[in-house]
Amino acid sequence: MNGRRFRRRPDGRLAVELHRAEAELLAHLAEELTELLETPDPADPAIDRLFPRAYLDPTEEEAEQSFSSLVAPDLLRGRLDALRALAATVRPPSGEVDADDDTVRVLELDADQEAQWLSILNDARLALGIRLGVSDDREEVALEPDDPLLHAHQVYDWLTYLQGELVEVLLDELPDTDD
Amino acid sequence: MANTGAPETIVVPDTVEELLGDDDVEQERPWIVLVWNDPVNLMSYVVFVFQKLFGYSREKATRLMLQVHREGKAVVANGTREKCEADVARLHAHGLWATMQRDD
Repeated sequence: MNGRRFRRRPDGRLAVELHRAEAELLAHLAEELTELLETPDPADPAIDRLFPRAYLDPTEEEAEQSFSSLVAPDLLRGRLDALRALAATVRPPSGEVDADDDTVRVLELDADQEAQWLSILNDARLALGIRLGVSDDREEVALEPDDPLLHAHQVYDWLTYLQGELVEVLLDELPDTDD
Repeated sequence: MANTGAPETIVVPDTVEELLGDDDVEQERPWIVLVWNDPVNLMSYVVFVFQKLFGYSREKATRLMLQVHREGKAVVANGTREKCEADVARLHAHGLWATMQRDD
């Protein structure tokens, strides 16, 4: 598919072009991320990255606890809401069950759904990137075709591409204010 | 304000400092919000978040993003403890790795 994946419509909604398989992949990732958030493994570094400390100073532990107890529940709720919203937007129309159908679908997002998509594309990349041990010089990493992590890296690269496309559209629309 | 018959709100100090009354020096020491480099967040996304959350120009948001990228961290905001906690919470909600500390 050529051209931009995200396009602003005259009515203000955001149009997204996705292959059927891509929509299914997003729905699957949303399920996995939901599970990661609902039954978190404290040893999972992705959890630390999605819910970071506010204070690094150990003498501020009391403030950290207070911050975390106030912010973390809202943060979690916002993420789960966004995951549900994304899953709802990529769900195929009822009755459409042809597995061979790889037509491109155009989804339309309102302002809330747009923000939720951006949030989930980033969260999914964070969770996946941490687990894959992604580093700054990642472009130079070449995987063997039989590497068991190849698929996960491909998914990560695809998410990166999709988020990049979305951010490009949103950045173009931001007014360039003076400081 | 409409009278709802509810009891008057009692204002409770948010922090011990507020309750005890800070010395002037302590009150003048602002807090700073730091964003740390991570290998996942897209450079364009970080610029977008800085512009959206703080209303910075493209130029300033880009400069801060590059500072994070090259130097490992950058101060992106400052102010009272309460303001900085709110900024850190918003940055966390956008997936950025942000912390806060006293400005030394």
